[in-house]
Amino acid sequence: MASTRREFLRTSALASTLLLIPKFLHALDRGPGLAGLRDATGARRLIVVQLGGGNDGLNTVIPYRNELYYKARPTLGIKEAEGILALDKDLGLHPALKGLKGLYDQGQLAVLNSVGYPNPDRSHFRSMDIWQSGSGSDQVVSTGWLGRYLDSNCPDCQRPYNALEIDDTLSLALKGGQRKGLALKNPDKFHQISQNRLLAKVSKETAPAHQEQVDYLYKTLAETASSADYLYDKSKIYKSAVTYPNSDFGKNLKTTAELINSGVESRVYYLALNGFDTHVRQHEQQQRLFTDLGNGLAALADDLRQHDQWNNTLVLVFSEFGRRVGQNASNGTDHGTANNVFLAGGALQKKGVINNAPDLLNLDQGDLRHQVDFRSIYASILKDWLGADDTAILGAGFERMSGLV
Amino acid sequence: MNSTQQLQHLYWRAGFGPRPQDVAAGLSPRKALRQLLLDSEHYEPLAGPTLSYTNPQGMVMTDPASTKNNPVPNGMVIKPDLPAPPGAPAAPVALMRPRAAFKGGTIAAGVPRLRRADLTPAQRKMQNEGIRDAFNNMSTAWMERMASSPAQLREKMTLFWHGHFACRVRQPDAALSLHNTTRQYALGKFPDLLLAVSREPAMLQFLNNQQNRKEHPNENFAREVMELFTLGHGNYTETDVKEAARAFTGWGYDRQGNFRFQQREHDTGPKTFLGKTGNLTGEDVLTHILAQPAAATFLTTKLYRFFVNDVPNPAHIEPLAVAFRKSGYDIADLMERLFSADWFYEPANMGTHIKSPVELLAGIRRTLNVKVDNAQPLLGYQRALGQNLFQPPNVAGWPGGRNWIDSSSLLLRLQLPAILFKNAEFAVALKQDENDIAPNQTKAERTVRPGAGAHLPLGPLQLLLGATPTAQQPEKLSGFLLQASIRPENLQLVQQAAQQKEPTEALRATLMNLLSLPEYQLA
Repeated sequence: MASTRREFLRTSALASTLLLIPKFLHALDRGPGLAGLRDATGARRLIVVQLGGGNDGLNTVIPYRNELYYKARPTLGIKEAEGILALDKDLGLHPALKGLKGLYDQGQLAVLNSVGYPNPDRSHFRSMDIWQSGSGSDQVVSTGWLGRYLDSNCPDCQRPYNALEIDDTLSLALKGGQRKGLALKNPDKFHQISQNRLLAKVSKETAPAHQEQVDYLYKTLAETASSADYLYDKSKIYKSAVTYPNSDFGKNLKTTAELINSGVESRVYYLALNGFDTHVRQHEQQQRLFTDLGNGLAALADDLRQHDQWNNTLVLVFSEFGRRVGQNASNGTDHGTANNVFLAGGALQKKGVINNAPDLLNLDQGDLRHQVDFRSIYASILKDWLGADDTAILGAGFERMSGLV
Repeated sequence: MNSTQQLQHLYWRAGFGPRPQDVAAGLSPRKALRQLLLDSEHYEPLAGPTLSYTNPQGMVMTDPASTKNNPVPNGMVIKPDLPAPPGAPAAPVALMRPRAAFKGGTIAAGVPRLRRADLTPAQRKMQNEGIRDAFNNMSTAWMERMASSPAQLREKMTLFWHGHFACRVRQPDAALSLHNTTRQYALGKFPDLLLAVSREPAMLQFLNNQQNRKEHPNENFAREVMELFTLGHGNYTETDVKEAARAFTGWGYDRQGNFRFQQREHDTGPKTFLGKTGNLTGEDVLTHILAQPAAATFLTTKLYRFFVNDVPNPAHIEPLAVAFRKSGYDIADLMERLFSADWFYEPANMGTHIKSPVELLAGIRRTLNVKVDNAQPLLGYQRALGQNLFQPPNVAGWPGGRNWIDSSSLLLRLQLPAILFKNAEFAVALKQDENDIAPNQTKAERTVRPGAGAHLPLGPLQLLLGATPTAQQPEKLSGFLLQASIRPENLQLVQQAAQQKEPTEALRATLMNLLSLPEYQLA
């Protein structure tokens, strides 16, 4: 028995659930909200782009003047003549990354080489867990680094839209001990799910049940409903006319730009571009994904620039690991270790290629050794960009890269 | 709290919820507990042809070199042999059968050795699908047991140990073998369980003990055995970790996926561990660990948090821990004491546990005798809610409690009854990284849609309702379905929603509304 959405909203038990939100919780709408985040450091925001599957950094930022690269990758190595987009330090971007090259030429891109962590883990899941939690490979942490940023910087924030993930479910990265971000594909759909016409009927003043867990569930529900309202109303303000790639990732970037340009007060946006597990036929896959990535980020920068939002935006692009230096027998690459990280934004402090190209002479059993711990980058972003207490969030021992952002 | 609520509390905590017939039978909690223990005595492995994976190409998926370079996700353990028969002891003698030498990668003659990277895309896809099917079938079969098995306490204990001995490997056979080991010893003596789990190839692989050799110790296994399995942080030193790692050198598995002690890799030198000195073996290390009172306290606390309350109460825990250790770590005895304690039935411990996604789904199925046409979508819902059986988030398992709840997971939980029973419009794309098995799935392939075809029979509820007039049914049913007391205004709304409907429809509407309340998220 299929039912339409309208019927669902009218008849589903969820409808009766939401109308049950006691009035005392509606006071949240007038709560302290984002103040702690909104006013900090000029309302800067962070967009994290996660390349899922382990992107091959060596074919992304290509050491095209290094014969060791071509020796390790006789057929997979990309030749200069194929249109490598030259950067400095004898490195060049993959020919499909024209969008990123544009940002580079405008001084709005920073490239970090050989980013990783000690004792790298080659499981997609575990390594992503490490990047998202900001832990070491020998630690298990059940909160995310951006969730702990919310805990630390906005303990009173009652709105999960402080940090948004453009997806159906929430990543570990945005789950704190106390505060959590909010996942949504688009504000309309989320609003539809979380609201209904009966909500207006709620009129009775109700006291908390004084049963901690019940109150917690109702509080979360109220915060969700209130966030959905806010995002729905706000997002109607601006609809983008910029052309984004016609892909899921492109759509998500567009949603992000629309939320930002509509004046939504979120500090963190989290998006994923997946499909980088290139054991076979890497060339075709990267070509397609990089077109999406480069054109998508270029469109986002355009969109935000037009509304004076690019200068207070920082984009972080990472993947859970890089690939092995040598190609495999299927014109692909297997799971490796250290990798590139990109930073983009209108007001980057350090631009261009930040550190040395990966050392292909000094490998660890065929894998790159890391030069930069990813948590040093997180620390710089947290402290210098978001104005947060990096040590409280990440623990001690990660030196910030001074003047990076 | 009346005795019906106490009885229901016991069924929710010691299993996956009461059925109408359980409540109608009206046993005292004490008698019901005895029955639960009795019904859970028997061990039956999870087994069946659809739960294992046979490579269609008959290929071996890895060689020692790629195992070394790619230790976690890609090493395939090939296990053509049947699992040990039910009840077989986990003694090394029973598990160690003569095999071809491991070192050098000698394998069954005539089978070509292909690396995963050498597979064609079609072969790789087929392999991924085969592995995924096996894992899906394992999860579905287990969920079916949780919903329908009389051995409720064993099912619940197995779920507890599944999170305690959290392990994530790519090989369905190895994962199933570990599962059946925890299932077998779930209510036995903890030392037997610990030893058997420590010898499971899945665990040895996941915690890198295959790389723990005399010349190059790998401490991961030794560390997690103490930190997560037995003692908890702070009850051992870094030196203890190093020494224990030396004792575990040589513990590995062969290419057929059987535990194998490799004498040549074992460090036979003297070690000092937790104050004891000698040429300690891995078995000695486990024995010394369990001689520590801290082990009993750590384990009892973890069980208390899972079965009683997120917030540990040392006054309840310490006497249990003492008795646990005295009994030689008899798990069934500990659980009987826990479920018999007066404090277990105190209001502070009733209706205060946030159901895990598995508890939520198995609970709906069990308490309402729900029949489903297709169980696969149910797995999708579990995953979307954050609990993928056999794929814990990391070595520490699912954190549980309020970690289950965020904006999107709560909305999905509240919609679940409408999705299940009304096919309400619903589509959630799981994250790419939900599954190491096929990380390059398209969005369409990752999207979970309705289609379980769940049926809600009303007949069994008559056992509870009897001659209850329609107008009183919502209150009666809320007492059965909700362990957290319903807000008065919610009850009023449920009653209103049931008005002006013919009796069957009113009953259905009442059930749907009650199942969709935040209160239903608690047990």
